[in-house]
Amino acid sequence: MSFIKELTKGIIKENPIFVIVLGMCPTLATSTSVENALGMGMAATFVLVCSNIFISLIKNITPDKIRIPVYVVVIASFVTIVDLSMAAFIPDLHKSLGLFIPLIVVNCIILGRAEAFANKNNVLNSIADGIGMGLGFTLALSVVATIREILGNGTWLNIKVLPETYDPMLITLLAPGAFITLGFLMALMNMLKEKK
Amino acid sequence: MKMFLQLGLILLAFCMVATALLAYVNSFTKPRIEAIKLKEAADARNELIPDSEFEEITGDLSYYIARDKTTKEIKGYTFTAEQIGYGGPVKTMAAVDKDFKIISIKVIQQTETPGLGTNATLPKFTDQFKGKTLDQLTVDKDGGVPPNAIKALTGATITTRAVANAVKASIDKLRASVSQSPETAALSDSTAALEVAK
Repeated sequence: MSFIKELTKGIIKENPIFVIVLGMCPTLATSTSVENALGMGMAATFVLVCSNIFISLIKNITPDKIRIPVYVVVIASFVTIVDLSMAAFIPDLHKSLGLFIPLIVVNCIILGRAEAFANKNNVLNSIADGIGMGLGFTLALSVVATIREILGNGTWLNIKVLPETYDPMLITLLAPGAFITLGFLMALMNMLKEKK
Repeated sequence: MKMFLQLGLILLAFCMVATALLAYVNSFTKPRIEAIKLKEAADARNELIPDSEFEEITGDLSYYIARDKTTKEIKGYTFTAEQIGYGGPVKTMAAVDKDFKIISIKVIQQTETPGLGTNATLPKFTDQFKGKTLDQLTVDKDGGVPPNAIKALTGATITTRAVANAVKASIDKLRASVSQSPETAALSDSTAALEVAK
């Protein structure tokens, strides 16, 4: 029961971008195209699930006072191991996702979930939380990216959707465009919530 | 006092385990990654100047002389230029012909802003370098006038500069080292002489 609850809460109710507003740096950087958003979302989900498992496993041997540095060490080492292994064994995938891996280290969603969830819950629920938060992150990124890519480039997933005559709104591809898009989407989410 | 020592030691233990793991992973991934990089570089050279054999020249600027596979005539040179862009070093591989006119370029490594600076890897951007001479490698934002200049990427002028200026500087060095090296200068003469002798 609680597994399902932990799994679904990240998607809408506690969406990491729209509701918790974490991980803004990778959001700005990778929501310029849907392709990048999906890549970043998948890579982050993978790391998030694995780091949640790790943190949950070591929660009993980690002294409370130094938990944050321990998490940072665990996450950074884990991301580096993933990065190196991908580069060595699946170079093609690394080429398209490799760019996002270093960005994940500074993604505060990972640290945020370690601190807020994984160090208080068992492994199973931590996995559910990781998957849910990861999917919520991917979904939110894709929504922002859809708007930015269509308005800023006239394409969606590199497919032309707007006619040639459309003059792209470049601002949406730049960092301010991400904030503007995000603002509108958050307002929309809040409006829907109030109606309920 | 004792508590601080204890916490420090625990943290040290965590870091040691992490370091050992990283060292272990690095030990078996490093050779593979390097092999992949070498292969990619060789593939990229072949893509830039097809049907050639390459000879490496090391020096101030390391470059490759590309010769035609059958006639052994010098077709051009390839080299890798590097300059710091917006998010770290941008590595560009370029091929120039005998007169140092650009045949084509390829951005092989970069960590620029996704969606803006990363557009430097697209043919839409790199194709404009084709046929450019040394003097035409000025970014339009720096006073160049297209078509005799490089048109900057939207939102990524710094990336554009990193590519254009690095290639420009390397061609300069290449020119100097080719004209200095008696071997290559003599080679083009001797191939001409060979033709006559035949």
